[in-house]
Order: sequence, then structure tokens, then C-alpha cells
Amino acid sequence: MNKITYEEQTKITRAIIKAAVLMLEFGAESRLIELTAQRLGNALGVDSVEVSLIPSAIVLSTLSNNQTQSVTTTRRAHHKPINMSIVCDVQKMCHDLEKGNHNVDFVFNTIKGIQPKYYNRWLVIFMVGLSCASFAYLTGSDLQAFFVTFVASSLAMFTRQELAKRKFVLILTFMFTAFVATIISGLSQIYNLSSTPNIALSSSVILLAPGFPFVNSVLDAVKGYLAMGWGRWMQAVLLTVATSLGIILALALLSLKGW
Amino acid sequence: MISEYILNAIFAAIPALGFAMVFNVPKHTLIYCAFGGAITYTARVAFQDMDIPLELATFLASTIIGIVALYWSKQFVIPRPVYTIPAIIPLLPGTYAFTAIINLIDMNAHGVTPELINLFIENGLKTIIILGGIGLGLALPSLYSIRYTRPIT
Repeated sequence: MNKITYEEQTKITRAIIKAAVLMLEFGAESRLIELTAQRLGNALGVDSVEVSLIPSAIVLSTLSNNQTQSVTTTRRAHHKPINMSIVCDVQKMCHDLEKGNHNVDFVFNTIKGIQPKYYNRWLVIFMVGLSCASFAYLTGSDLQAFFVTFVASSLAMFTRQELAKRKFVLILTFMFTAFVATIISGLSQIYNLSSTPNIALSSSVILLAPGFPFVNSVLDAVKGYLAMGWGRWMQAVLLTVATSLGIILALALLSLKGW
Repeated sequence: MISEYILNAIFAAIPALGFAMVFNVPKHTLIYCAFGGAITYTARVAFQDMDIPLELATFLASTIIGIVALYWSKQFVIPRPVYTIPAIIPLLPGTYAFTAIINLIDMNAHGVTPELINLFIENGLKTIIILGGIGLGLALPSLYSIRYTRPIT
């Protein structure tokens, strides 16, 4: 086995942690992060990769030269809105690396080239509006409540995108979006537009249910990443509280009793 | 009866598709996410029609989508959550969760009453148990493949 110099190994470690941080920031599950880091390490020629994950940072060590040479590094992770296309791109890079004869520079170049792919924003607004309206239908609303939900959640999604574009913190975004959604569906209750106003009220904020953090937290916890599980659970609870605050503010402003 | 199932499946596929777009999944997986949503919701309704309680039905439905997504993710090189999480969106207890928190804030604002406590515990418990059921169901196929391979010394 040919020897890896300290400089080479540092470069490899930097490449691996860059990929791992990208996956953590955009909402991948802990086990996926650890496995990907280990596979990248194997493909790049180090003996083993050990990863320690906490919600806000990654500590990563690589061992090489028969486990005698160790490089450890830490990176802070800043959580961003979930984007699965980036996670898939990192995963694809890992596969390409395993298949072909690439070196470390391939990893750096690919990561530099990874751009978030977004869908057309008006299409997303329309689909999310329709989604929440479908929720209203599934809970048994009438036609008027269906359309009220559609309008309310479409406008809420528009607000969410505008706030996301200005890079606001997720908590503020969720609070304000819930406020907008509830104001609109609450107005329909005041003007008696439908016979099931409660369903419109509760369905129009479904677009803010933090499904990804909640599910990821349970997945992490049962697979043995307890700290990550708690961290994500807390994040999800915070987002739910923020949403509820937005709803309460709007209900208080319209002086409605609640759903 | 059958037409109702199909109609519900279509209306469950739409949220899965919409939320898949919010999570920016790759384009060619969108159709699978929609299918997944339809499968999961239909499975849950079918289980509920067999008089299985909501929580258990949710757990079984998410186990099914967990197994199905295992095949899909092996076919294309895509991590499993890309398929599973949009698919379980129609099952999420969003309304329960928001109601629980609103009750909590109500208790602080207007004083604690037995009715509010009842509502809070009912909704909060439903939220946590349904979420646990979803997570455990999705994790079950991969938990099955994890073994203690290292020697205990």
C-alpha cells in the first residue's frame, strides 16, 4: 500500500467534510451522511473515516497508513431550507467517484459546480395551493372551503418564497406565512363564505407542517444518532410553535375564537 | 366504494407532488413521489376500514411505502427519503400538532380549564404517536438490514 502524505490526507479530509456539511445543511438523514462520508473515504484511499455529528457541526477524522496517521477537522453547519436536489447530487458524485478513476480534485470541482435546482415558482405556488386544498377535501370540506384554502395557501406560499428570497430566519418566515394564511381563511369565516370554515382555517396552514425535521428526527433516533434526533425534534417543535404564534396573532386580529 | 378510493388516492397524490416540489426533489422522481402518496393514503384508509386504529394504520402504511421505496431507490441512485417523505405528507398530523400548541397558548392566556387540558393531551398524544409510527415504519426496512457486525471484545 503506497503511503499518503499528511498534506494529501488533509486535502482528502477537507473534501469529505465539505460533502458531509453540504448534506447536513440541506436536510439529509444522519446515517446517509455517515455512510456517504465513509464511502468517499474508501474511494479516495484512506483506511477509515469516523464521523461525529451534532446538529450544528460535524467533526470528522480520517485514518491512513495502517491507522497510524490521523487528520481531524471540524466544520460548522448552518441549516438552510431543505433541498433534496443537492443531497442527490452529492450522492451521485459519490457513486461516480466509486466507479471511475477520479482524484480529490474531482470532489472539489463537483461540489463547486453543485447548484440548487428550483422548480418554476409559479408552478410551486399553484401546486402547494392545490395540495392544501386537497387536504381540505380529504378532511371533508365543501367546495367553497376548497377554493378558500386554495387561495389562502397559494398566497401564503408566495409570502414564504418572498421571505426565503430575502434570506430571513426560518422561524420568522413560518410565523409570517401562517399569519397570512390564517388572515385570508379567517376572512372567509367572517364573511360566511363556506359552511366548513374550520377546515379551511386548519388546512391552509398545513403547508407549514415541518414534516422533514420531524420524520428525520425519528429516523435518526431509531438508527442510533440520539443527539441528532433531539436536535431535529427541537427544530421541528420550534417551527411548529412559530406557526402557531402566527395563527394566534391572526386569530386575535380578526377576533375569532379559533378552530 | 372503489371510485371513492380512487378519488381519495388522486387527492392524496396531489399533496405528495406539491410538497416534493417544495423539497426540490429531482424531476424524474416526481412521478414516484405522487405514486407513493397515493399508495400510502389508500393503504391507511384501507387499514382503517378494516377497523384498525388510526395510529396502527399509519404505522402499517408507512412500513409499506418504506419497503416500496427500497426498490425504487435501488433502481435509481437516489436516497430513500426523497421518495418516502413526500409520500407520507398526507399522513402527517399537522392539524393535531397546531391545535395542541394553540391550546397550550390558550391555557396561558385564558386560564387553565379541564377542557383545554383534555384537548391538549388528546391532540399532543395523537401527534407524537402518529409521528413515531410514521418514523418507525419508514425506518423498519433499513433497521432490518443493520446488524451488530463488530465483535464485542
